Amino acid sequence: MEPVLNAEEPKPFAIKKTRTRFLGLTLDETIQTFFGGNAFVAVIVLALITLFLVKEGAQFFTQNRASMTVYRQAGLEYVDLMRQQEEDHIALTRYLFDVRMQAIRQYTDAEGLPLADANARLVAFDEWSGQYSDAIEPVRGLVSELTDVASAIKTKFTIAEDKAIERAQLLDEGKTEEAAAVVIETVDFKTELAVLTGTLPMFKEASVDFAGQLTALLPTAPAFSDAVLQARMDRFVALTRQYLDGFPEVVRRMETWDFEEPIPLARSFTGFIFGRQWLTASFWQDWYGVIPLFVGSLMVSAVALTLAIPLGVGAAIYVNQIATAREQRLIKPCIEFIAAIPSVVLGFFGIAVLGEALRALSQFENLHWIPGFPIAERLNALTAGCLLALIAVPTIFTLAEDALNNVPRAFREASFALGATRLQTIVKITIPASLSGIVSAVLLGFGRVIGETMVVLLCAGNRIAIPDFTAGVTVFFQPVHTMTGIIAQEMGEVVRGSIHYRALFMVGLVLFVIALLINFIAQKIVRRYRISIG
Amino acid sequence: MSPSNPHIFQAQPGGQARREKSIFWIFRIATYVVLACGFFVFGDIIIKGSRTVFQSEFPFVNTTFLFTAPESLYVFEHEGVKREMGDREFRAFREAEEARARSEGRVPAQIRAQSYVYSAGGIWPCIVGTVLLVVGSMTIALSLGVSSAIYLNEYAKEGPGVRFIRLAILNLAGVPSIVFGLFGFGMFVIFFGWNVSLLAGWFTLAFMVLPVVITASEEALKAVPRGFREGSLALGATKWQTIRKAVLPYALPGILTSSILGIARVAGETAPIMFTAAYVVRDKLPWDVESVSDFFFQGVMALPYHIYVVSSKIPQNEYTERVQYGTAFVFLGIVALIAMTSILLRNRLRKRYQW
Repeated sequence: MEPVLNAEEPKPFAIKKTRTRFLGLTLDETIQTFFGGNAFVAVIVLALITLFLVKEGAQFFTQNRASMTVYRQAGLEYVDLMRQQEEDHIALTRYLFDVRMQAIRQYTDAEGLPLADANARLVAFDEWSGQYSDAIEPVRGLVSELTDVASAIKTKFTIAEDKAIERAQLLDEGKTEEAAAVVIETVDFKTELAVLTGTLPMFKEASVDFAGQLTALLPTAPAFSDAVLQARMDRFVALTRQYLDGFPEVVRRMETWDFEEPIPLARSFTGFIFGRQWLTASFWQDWYGVIPLFVGSLMVSAVALTLAIPLGVGAAIYVNQIATAREQRLIKPCIEFIAAIPSVVLGFFGIAVLGEALRALSQFENLHWIPGFPIAERLNALTAGCLLALIAVPTIFTLAEDALNNVPRAFREASFALGATRLQTIVKITIPASLSGIVSAVLLGFGRVIGETMVVLLCAGNRIAIPDFTAGVTVFFQPVHTMTGIIAQEMGEVVRGSIHYRALFMVGLVLFVIALLINFIAQKIVRRYRISIG
Repeated sequence: MSPSNPHIFQAQPGGQARREKSIFWIFRIATYVVLACGFFVFGDIIIKGSRTVFQSEFPFVNTTFLFTAPESLYVFEHEGVKREMGDREFRAFREAEEARARSEGRVPAQIRAQSYVYSAGGIWPCIVGTVLLVVGSMTIALSLGVSSAIYLNEYAKEGPGVRFIRLAILNLAGVPSIVFGLFGFGMFVIFFGWNVSLLAGWFTLAFMVLPVVITASEEALKAVPRGFREGSLALGATKWQTIRKAVLPYALPGILTSSILGIARVAGETAPIMFTAAYVVRDKLPWDVESVSDFFFQGVMALPYHIYVVSSKIPQNEYTERVQYGTAFVFLGIVALIAMTSILLRNRLRKRYQW
């Protein structure tokens, strides 16, 4: 187009508006910035959570190393090397006792003998097992004596440390004279430990004596006529041989033990991540290993998910594919309603009703064929798992139902047009098409379960130990403790800044990382395997 | 259609049809098992709890339980009569008995009483505390959440920045509540030095419920048709005017009803307030403070934490059961009421707003 040559000067707009500017922003821009800033709160909160968990928890590793260093320097580790021998022996005697229990059961139940007769049959066995368990005495005496010595060294050291802190505090307050008056007794580990390490020949002697006694006992091990019992007895003998073979190794480790060997920081880290003991406020040595708690959390989640996946996904399929419109309108709000039950109420229900009910159920004679019945503990992994299932079901249901809903109508219609039945369409078309959504629903349900606190705190039984997995399925009837439970239970009681306090924050960090990981995987699955609708 | 002359396309009764039917029944049973479990929990608590909360005489509601503070319960036998009394009543009774015995010239008999903590009196401070916690945290969460949703839905253009924010929201939704508790403890209670206080509890709960509120608000904003915005912009309104006059009024009911679900969650959580806001026991009610600032920096008793305390720290028996079930009933009632309002309102709104 030709430009108009004789154009006049451009006229100003009829409506002229001056915009007020504040810091170079118009009102609209200010509002936008304000809203944008609010949107960033989510990011900031997430960053702050990470920051504070790390800030409070990170020092755990240095503190834990210090604690482990004292454990070594005060000779506690040395004594524990000896103690291991004693504890293994206790485990063996427990095995022997278990065999005896089985034999009694065999005699009274299968052969119908009265208890007195059954006991009479085992007199020889009892005598032998008595000798077996008494053989440890010389080693045990030594260990208990040295335990006191090592404890004393550790106490001396802690007192010295406390005094040092006291002096530093006094100096901070400017009380120089009082500070000078605080006497700090330095602990010379080398001389103190000489008492401990000096007992090595004694230990060797006791150990040899003990090994000799056991070896002499082994050939005279009592025999059973029953094949099963005899097999267990043979296994016992084999285990004892194995135990005896380990003796030189113990002595070697004691000989090469060096109290000055430094403990690497990595050891403190692995001690937490792979540690099999969570032991606090003990007179001997505190251990902060997350494994028992982690295993507890996993076990409870496993129970919950085995129940919740079939129920939640099944209900979602039913409501979405099979139910009538009226049933749908009725069921969906009801399940949402279940989601609204507060977890602490469910926990209370577990204590007041479910735990007792499960135990009562397990005491029925007719049900004794189920392994682990009757249940010994009212509150255990099973009780908590059942209740957690009720928490996971609504989550799984809602998300799975959404996923099923997102399958295009055309898919189903095409399937019907080909003459497939409803069941065939559901199994072969709808479920595969929505599988990614269902899997991520299950994962998010898992996230919900592993992060749940009140139910496990109230109903899981709170015993901090790795459950005995040799017990088979009955392991689920044992009480456990969980990561969420331990934080809730112990956070209120710990001293701020102590190693225990920091350990709890580390457990929180582990939980946080697990939650993020589950979320990440769930999103990845949804995005990766989403069917293209077109 | 008569069975004697079936249509050729009608499903033939046969093995396959039967199998299909039985498999559908399995799905149906799964659904109803879930519902039955849910209703069993509800039913048990409602039946046993209503015995504490309701009574047969006027005013039909146990006002002592609802409107007084918790006390210890004393159970004892005195002169052949078995009595149960709250702490204050028991002390008065003991003094009266001693005075009576002395006036009659006897040596006052020692009253041996079995005591159960928190089992007498009521839960009024807990109800007040819970209401305060919910109101405060929801105010914070709503103002933050609605603003975020407005930004995400109205202003932001899709890009890495917005994707990042959405990712953060999604991840925040999956963080376990106890981790929020730890965070609130580390940041508000210790780092900011607020101690165990209402304020710390408010922020902890608000951050926990933020993803729910943002997602709900965005849904509601998305439901407002584009034409509303375009019409307003075409008339020369600025962006903010459009949002204020043409979008928010229509989205607000949706935002509020969906956020009520968030309220139910806030009211129901125990773990985040365990170390940030809740006291096991506190004699004063929250408004008995000397200055206004003290109000924000005081811990409160809360229903969920009280349930935890009474169900884990005192033994189970006929005397303690009343307070346990009663508290659970009141708490469940409040939460269920909130959740029910939200679900009903939402179904109603869905019908009303159809563009």
